[in-house]
Amino acid sequence: MGNFMRLVQNENMKIYRRIRTWVMFGVILLMVLFFSILFRLGGGSSTISSWDAISQLSFLYYLATIFAAVVAADIVAGEFTWGTIKLLLIRPWTRTKVLASKLLALILFTLLITVVFFLASSLISFAMYPENTTSLMYSDDVSPLAYMLEDILYRYIDLLVIALFSFMISAVFRSSGIAIGLSMFILFTGGIFTMLFNPVRYPWAKYTLFVNMDLSQYRGGQEGVAGMTLGFSITVLLSYVLLFLLVSWLVFKKRDVAA
Amino acid sequence: MDLEPVVRMKGVSKRIGSKTIIDNLTLDIPPGQVYGFLGPNGAGKTTTIRMMVGLMAITAGDIEIQGASITKQFETAISHVGAIVENPEMYKFLSGYQNLLHYARMSPGVSKQRIAEVIELVGLQQRIHDKVKTYSLGMRQRLGVAQAILHRPKLLVLDEPTNGLDPQGIRELRSYLRQLAEEEGTTIFVSSHLLSEMELMCDTVAVIQQGRLIDVRSLHDQDAVANEQKKTMFEVSDPERARELIGQGQIMDSHLLLDIDRDTAAAINERLVLSGISVYRIAVVTRTLEDQFIELTGGGQIG
Ligand SMILES: Nc1ncnc2c1ncn2[C@@H]1O[C@H](COP(=O)(O)OP(=O)(O)O)[C@@H](O)[C@H]1O
Ligand SMILES: [Mg+2]
Repeated sequence: MGNFMRLVQNENMKIYRRIRTWVMFGVILLMVLFFSILFRLGGGSSTISSWDAISQLSFLYYLATIFAAVVAADIVAGEFTWGTIKLLLIRPWTRTKVLASKLLALILFTLLITVVFFLASSLISFAMYPENTTSLMYSDDVSPLAYMLEDILYRYIDLLVIALFSFMISAVFRSSGIAIGLSMFILFTGGIFTMLFNPVRYPWAKYTLFVNMDLSQYRGGQEGVAGMTLGFSITVLLSYVLLFLLVSWLVFKKRDVAA
Repeated sequence: MDLEPVVRMKGVSKRIGSKTIIDNLTLDIPPGQVYGFLGPNGAGKTTTIRMMVGLMAITAGDIEIQGASITKQFETAISHVGAIVENPEMYKFLSGYQNLLHYARMSPGVSKQRIAEVIELVGLQQRIHDKVKTYSLGMRQRLGVAQAILHRPKLLVLDEPTNGLDPQGIRELRSYLRQLAEEEGTTIFVSSHLLSEMELMCDTVAVIQQGRLIDVRSLHDQDAVANEQKKTMFEVSDPERARELIGQGQIMDSHLLLDIDRDTAAAINERLVLSGISVYRIAVVTRTLEDQFIELTGGGQIG
């Protein structure tokens, strides 16, 4: 019945008509600008290539990951806290379709914030380092653009997994606070976890989310620790993502709405 | 009425854990009526409404709306329904208009013109482009009614819609509901814990208590007399002993109430006097629906 894209349009309206969302974009732009200036001043008279400058800023993509987790945390839980879920679910759309529209709007948001981040860091870097200096990071035989795009892809996958995890927690606990908290926990403890439970010593650790999230470890055909491969990590990540979506769907579909 | 009912509840029960909240409720709602659902707080009105609109699963039984099962043919069944469940909660960071647009997009065939028409009907033209966070409760209630009728539903379900409204707001609400029922033929199912309110707006009321349907009665003018009960009241020196002597009756405020005709009244009077009980007054009293409701529900209502 009706046109599914109108549901997505509604979800978009609920994301982009909130001031919070524009604050997120504003913070990203400001931080990118701030760190570029900081690096420029810190670098003194020596100048680096614009590609190196972009890569220097890429750590700020964590902000985009945090913001994506926040939006994901609210997209289902918010309706319960606001009580609007009661009006949303009494329309001629099954719960599955309502949830799917939220998922799609979330994915669109993660793409948008990623594009905004990389456009901002590229534009600012090119503006600050217009001199055509040779890159210190990239050898002549790799195209910096291709390298950067590959890097974006790895980082985006990481962001998406965190956002979908947050989405699931949001649907299960109907609390955006818990969803944001747990996603941040995963985001920031991933590195420590991988150090503590190295798959070489603990074979089971190979199957955890943490050690598979960073696909850049396989860059250029490298083999990962304990014989892990790109294909293996992709399979593990996909399994987790499907599990997150399945749990979100089952809970959302079955739950009695008494908010 | 031989018209197909708009809503058909068939042996509906809801259990949460070991608690039975709704117990085997069977009820048909005929088309075109303002149908009241009356019961004290905690009787199960909201729970029944949640099951009717598919927000809660039904433990046993089924509910059909225009012949479509809310559990098995949800999309068809719900397309005939507009509702406000408990408070009219809206997206506060959006304007009233954006809220309506949101719900309009979810139902087929709601034009911009229809949105404008509904805004006018509920009288929100002046403030519709303001953010909902600036609205008063009365305005949010109107916006709630607006979102519920956008798609011209056959059935409008309102859960305690007068809660928190001032008398002026209540009067306005009553007049829209009448207008909807009479001009658009919408069937309206409205819950309340106040009988006085139901009497003012409903054609029929179903009374629910502790999850059970205990009474359904018509409030049409011609039936009003039939709904009243006449009883004979004896004001006596010792009502307890009087009741023992007669072997029937009900004591209320130290009066004895009896369901008898006038000849019997004379005979009873004689017996009471002969047994040494003083009779101060005999009168016929009329008990309104309200008295009966309070009696049915044990007077335990709050509010
Ligand atoms: N989720 C729940 N779990 C257990 N009991 C509930 C739940 N929701 C409602 N109840 C109980 O069900 C009864 C009916 O509640 P409700 O339908 O809200 O009544 P009403 O709307 O008539 O005031 C109340 O006794 C309430 O405590
Ligand atoms: Mg209630």
